[in-house]
Amino acid sequence: MPRITINGKDLEFTKGQTILQVALDNEIEIPHYCYHPGLSIVANCRICLAEVWAPNPKTNQLEAIPKLLPTCQTPAGEHQVVYTDSPKAIANQKAVMEYLLINHPVDCAVCDQAGECHLQDYSYQYGRSQARFAEEKIKQPKKDVGKHVLLYSDRCIMCTRCVRFTREVTGTGELMVTGRGATEQIDVFPGVPVDNELSANVIDICPVGALLDKDFLFQQRVWLLTKTPSIDGITASGDNISIEHNKGIIYRIKPRVNMDVNKWWITDEVRYGWKHVHSDQRITMPQVKGEEPYQSSEAPLAYEAAYALVNRRLAEAGRMALLVSPMLSCEDAYLLATYVRSIDPDAILAMGPVPRHGQDKTFPGSSAGAGFKLYAEKAPNARGVRRVLSKMSDSVLDFEAFTKALQKESSINAVVLTGNYPSDWATGALLAALDAGESRQNGRFVALIDTLNTKLVDRADVVIPGATWTEKAGVFENANGRLQAFERAITPIDYTKSESQIALDLAAASAASDLGLQHAIYNPAVVRQTIASTLGLPEFIQNVHYPAVLGEVESDMALIEL
Amino acid sequence: MPIPDSDIIDVTPRRVSRSESLFLPAVFKGLGTTLRHVFQNVGRDGKTKKNIWVVQYPEEKRDDRPVTEGGQERETFRGVHRLNRDEDGRVRCVACFMCATACPANCIHIVAEESPWPDREKYPKQFDIDELRCIYCGMCEEACPVDAIELTPFYEITGLSRQEMIFDKSKLLEVYDRTIDEKPM
Ligand code: SF4
Ligand code: SF4
Ligand code: SF4
Ligand code: FES
Repeated sequence: MPRITINGKDLEFTKGQTILQVALDNEIEIPHYCYHPGLSIVANCRICLAEVWAPNPKTNQLEAIPKLLPTCQTPAGEHQVVYTDSPKAIANQKAVMEYLLINHPVDCAVCDQAGECHLQDYSYQYGRSQARFAEEKIKQPKKDVGKHVLLYSDRCIMCTRCVRFTREVTGTGELMVTGRGATEQIDVFPGVPVDNELSANVIDICPVGALLDKDFLFQQRVWLLTKTPSIDGITASGDNISIEHNKGIIYRIKPRVNMDVNKWWITDEVRYGWKHVHSDQRITMPQVKGEEPYQSSEAPLAYEAAYALVNRRLAEAGRMALLVSPMLSCEDAYLLATYVRSIDPDAILAMGPVPRHGQDKTFPGSSAGAGFKLYAEKAPNARGVRRVLSKMSDSVLDFEAFTKALQKESSINAVVLTGNYPSDWATGALLAALDAGESRQNGRFVALIDTLNTKLVDRADVVIPGATWTEKAGVFENANGRLQAFERAITPIDYTKSESQIALDLAAASAASDLGLQHAIYNPAVVRQTIASTLGLPEFIQNVHYPAVLGEVESDMALIEL
Repeated sequence: MPIPDSDIIDVTPRRVSRSESLFLPAVFKGLGTTLRHVFQNVGRDGKTKKNIWVVQYPEEKRDDRPVTEGGQERETFRGVHRLNRDEDGRVRCVACFMCATACPANCIHIVAEESPWPDREKYPKQFDIDELRCIYCGMCEEACPVDAIELTPFYEITGLSRQEMIFDKSKLLEVYDRTIDEKPM
């Protein structure tokens, strides 16, 4: 392998890599704005320039290349010696920073990017603390450039990452550069806003606070947010996300880089797909038909009553059916099915409706970040639920077969339904099927574990509030059969519980049922082990992808001894 | 590393002797200290030997005394907060959350919003300080980039409930209106 020396470190590289890529791979920091691994290289910000010495092909003597070279664009060469900390390179970094800040408003105090802004970081590391520019700064307008995106032109440093993104990744090309010199700006054509399924990614790639998220605008300062690695819980993509929350409230979702799944991007649908978590339509308290609604101080009582009734009616039912929603994790599916099967070993297992909107869509495009796929299937775990249930029952019914079975078989005396969909999923067919069959005295017993208020809540005999994927840990299997674990971001909002916990609690409250789990508190790792051993699914131990452990971020502030 | 014997202090309680267990000598010893202080301070007009001033609060207040006689440092005293107004009477705060970030007691709660004024990006829709949680350290004042939050020399804040002691934006602005004459910005 060829070798190169960067800042005194002797490194290996593969041919075709640029100097900056070699440095980044080896954790050497070279400041850069316009370079993004997923986009084409334009070398227009000039902060990555370095002093490069290369062997003269004739004499094989190391000679300095007279001008500084952009490391993001220059291919690494055998036996080159690169300095980004030489006086010349440092002088360039300082000059670039000073030029960039000439017309920058430096309004970090009110800028949403503050805290995760490259301009701030590099200004601190490579810039000067004092401005020498005494003239008036140019003021540029704030623009509304798309459904989710705001552009604060005067904070822009013209790195054109956003322009390249719309050209190379989405292929929609809404953004462009207008004007020249001091009047140069990013803009959209009149009447053609940034409107594509990936539009909000431009906010992430903007290295400064020029492109901002309308939804997150002024909501929180970024340093107050805790980031929890998670998985897309809305569609089948399995996109890696990080849920950012503070004091039990989610404020935004950002993509997590995973080159095997979503690369650097996520769709807007996933990014804003958490709104139902804090919706005022959430079911928060168990409800028992015929009983007064429980007050918030009565939560334990309400759970006790609900569990007792479910256990009693299921024990009386004889034959029963369980509908596991594809929005639930594999652990939820396993525990719920085990619970129901412990009461009725022949209980019907079925999977809830798997919503599909439109067609799968692959974005064309030309750069490394291209080829992103948007999935039409809007449920995160249809395959995972099926994988678990099909080991427990010979025929796992799909939703249609389930409603038909309810219509036909009047011997099914009790159903346990799970929902957890981000929108109303109660179809007329389901409601009709629940009450179909021979007329009976009390009708079919319906226990509903769901998150949002739907028509089903009125029909159900017992309603138990479930938790969305942000409030629990588990495993989802995405459209490509990849099992990925996600962590709990926020504690379940009062007084909901995760479906797994509900299954465990129900089993604990019931005399008949024993899940064979020696614990009362849901622990996803233990449940995965049990799935692997009892169902013969070793992939739940071997093939689950866990979020990469993020390295500790060390402060670059000097420690002051007091 | 083992702990050397010299660093170990034996704190097993010593048995009290019979005379000590009556506690009478200790009572008289304590009374002696009290009486000593009484006699030492007779005729000193509220000033102790060690220059510690006695103030008959609430009839008499430190506010009224010169600093050299045990009065309050009104310039720098850290009492109840106020939110300053700008020249146009609007709240000066730009909702940057710096004070909330700096606050060691986590008692500042801000909800920001786009400001209704063209010269400003952001302003606080809600600004609450829990005056009961606050430790009056002054970090918020220190952190504010626009001198919007300040601590005033006023310390006699009372309320009948905890909720009342969470000062909201209007109350903090009212404190400004009441204190601006005494403590200019
Ligand atoms: S808006 Fe952001 S990403 Fe686009 S050119 Fe300006 S700084 Fe770069
Ligand atoms: S004085 Fe200290 S504790 Fe009180 S609000 Fe300010 S920073 Fe917080
Ligand atoms: S630091 Fe000052 S400007 Fe910022 S939020 Fe607090 S009071 Fe407002
Ligand atoms: S990163 Fe090399 S010029 Fe911008």
